[in-house]
Amino acid sequence: MIKPKRYLAIAFCLSVLCFGIVQDASAIDVNASYDLSTLPDMSDFDPNLPLKPDGDTIKIAIISSFTGPGAVTGEAFYLYTSWAAHDINKRGGILVDGKKKKIELIKADNQSRPDVTKKITERMILKEKVDILWGTQMSHLTQIVSQLATRYKKIHVNATSVSDSLMEGKNYSKYSFMTSYSTQQIGRAAAYYYGQIRKKETKFYILCQDYVFGRSIADAFKEGLKEYYPEAELVGEDYHQVFLTDFAPYLTKVKASGAEVIFTGDWMPDAFNLLKQSRQMGIMLPFANIFINDPISLEELGIENGEGLVLISPAGTGNPIFKNQGFINYYKAWNNQWKTKFTPPYNTIRYSHIFGNPAMYAYSIYWTASVIERAKTLDPEKIISVWEGDSYQYPNGKTVSMRACDHKAVTDLHAIEFVKPEDQKQCFNIPPYYIYNTSAAGGPVFEIPSEKILPKADPQLCK
Amino acid sequence: MDPTTAMYIAQGMHGIAYGMVLFLLASGLTLILGMMGILNLAHTGFFMLAAYFGYQMVQWTGSYWAALAAAPLVTAVFGILMERFLLKKVHVYGPMAELILTMGVSLVILDGVKVIWGSQSLPLSPPESLQGLVNIFGMQYPAYRLFIIFLSLLVLFIMGVLLYKTRMGMIIRAAVSDAQMVDALGINVPVVFMLVFGIGTWMAGVAGVAIAPILTVSPGLASQMGMDAFIVIIVGGFGSLGGAFLVSLICGLLSSYGIQFLPQYSAVLIFIFMAVVLAVKPEGLFGEKT
Repeated sequence: MIKPKRYLAIAFCLSVLCFGIVQDASAIDVNASYDLSTLPDMSDFDPNLPLKPDGDTIKIAIISSFTGPGAVTGEAFYLYTSWAAHDINKRGGILVDGKKKKIELIKADNQSRPDVTKKITERMILKEKVDILWGTQMSHLTQIVSQLATRYKKIHVNATSVSDSLMEGKNYSKYSFMTSYSTQQIGRAAAYYYGQIRKKETKFYILCQDYVFGRSIADAFKEGLKEYYPEAELVGEDYHQVFLTDFAPYLTKVKASGAEVIFTGDWMPDAFNLLKQSRQMGIMLPFANIFINDPISLEELGIENGEGLVLISPAGTGNPIFKNQGFINYYKAWNNQWKTKFTPPYNTIRYSHIFGNPAMYAYSIYWTASVIERAKTLDPEKIISVWEGDSYQYPNGKTVSMRACDHKAVTDLHAIEFVKPEDQKQCFNIPPYYIYNTSAAGGPVFEIPSEKILPKADPQLCK
Repeated sequence: MDPTTAMYIAQGMHGIAYGMVLFLLASGLTLILGMMGILNLAHTGFFMLAAYFGYQMVQWTGSYWAALAAAPLVTAVFGILMERFLLKKVHVYGPMAELILTMGVSLVILDGVKVIWGSQSLPLSPPESLQGLVNIFGMQYPAYRLFIIFLSLLVLFIMGVLLYKTRMGMIIRAAVSDAQMVDALGINVPVVFMLVFGIGTWMAGVAGVAIAPILTVSPGLASQMGMDAFIVIIVGGFGSLGGAFLVSLICGLLSSYGIQFLPQYSAVLIFIFMAVVLAVKPEGLFGEKT
């Protein structure tokens, strides 16, 4: 029999534990969050047949490439953002100027070309009368959208381009908000992971695309190594042209350098061609990267060739992915639609999940909608005042805040080690207990605290 | 073999392998341009289309070899159909009309593959027998790249024999030199040109299926190698297979050794080479003065 004093001790311990949990929850001090308690019926969501909302709407232009070689990017942007819009609309829309308004997404095809980006963005603003500009891929194109946002005083949401320079100096626009992570954060996060968490490999080779983004992400990695891993050795550094065909000459140099890790900021198709050709050449080194997570491409390589990859992710929350029933329901709503309703091109395993990097496109729409709802108006100046310094919690529990001085998102990042399907359970903690059964994917996840990797701040803006 | 020597030799072999694929692509282009006077802007589109056909064949049959045999042939049929039913009709309107037409066909191919296969990258692996590495005097080299070198040499040999050792080759060369005279001799010149166009697109097809296991099959494939192929035919001389072969190899080697020794300039070395050659010999290395 337990003595009364022991009851008290147990009660005390439990209360401390509970208080700790409550403290943990309250530590996530956010201004608003996605409401997981009332998930609407999403069974009528079809990205190929989006429902056109009726009445007065909040128009958002999704600016991306929907034709040509870059169409795959627009495809993913539109899929995830239209899911979020559908979700918001099924909840009745957003209360703006005393009236519930639904979200209407309009595709704006920029064909990955600067001239077209300018034309289509202006058309969206002047002809389609959109309220929000969302996008786009590639920093130089995003800069054009940002400039037009300033000229026409439209809110611009950049959830996709990660160059710090977009929000610095002359490029800074008070109308633009960068909800994505940035090159500084990514590069330094990778260095932090290897220097402060993993502490194994010491020889690194940088292989990035030869343009502003590739160079700045490499610089950030080098800065991070100096700061968090001074004993590390940079055994090589190369910058290749974008859309390179043959990586073998670079990989031969990597092999000869004795590198233990290749750091790359390459995006597709370069990222995958680089990995594929390295494996064909018998180079099994791990890649620290941000874009090598496509399950179909990884499936081609085989599970063993994808193991050991390290993805720096803006979307993680630490293991496991599913921390509450609300997010399980949210995920299942998506996954069930994908299984039963999605038609080409959306019915591949590439789109089977709504977590990880692509989900951030949807989450950015939720955050935007929440800000508008709290501003109670579509007046850009009022939206800006609400968004600056705002913090928001995404459906997966991740919190993010908007730095007021330069409109860059501040958030924890995560280093995700890719493992074989049977080891993915630590990450994917609901049946079938793997993310992909045909390729390596997330296993161990390590948090890189936001305060260690704050986005680069322009001293003129952030005094 | 010591590691440094192995690295330099490997770079040379990478250059040759890339140069060979480039040759496969550019040779079809130069054949059509040199012999028919048509700058076929759809050529790289056919190259990409063949990679997609190859992917589809592997999906159906599970065999890369079946894909390598069939996909270029199917591509050649498409090429022949284009020549027969489109190019022939606009021929009377001159080279500009042909140029615009081939550009249009190129766009149709680009959007066509997206409609059929989507815009995502599709995987195509090398055959199992060519996966892994081959030991060459202590140096490990990918078997599939060796195969590409061999395949390109085989195609070059076949083309050489066809053009210079057969009656058909003689007719083709004669038709290029003086089509009216050949026509007057009772030879059906339009059929000869159709055949040349078919052979040219077949070679693009071989290149497409050969490169696919090194890259991914995607709509971007055409633009990835297209620029290099056009440089090869300009520098090599319009219509010169030998020129295309030599310049392809030079481009491949410039690229790989450039990356080794002058990485910051490697992307422009080919353009510098082109500028130097054209400054000295505007008709290209093996081109004829017009």
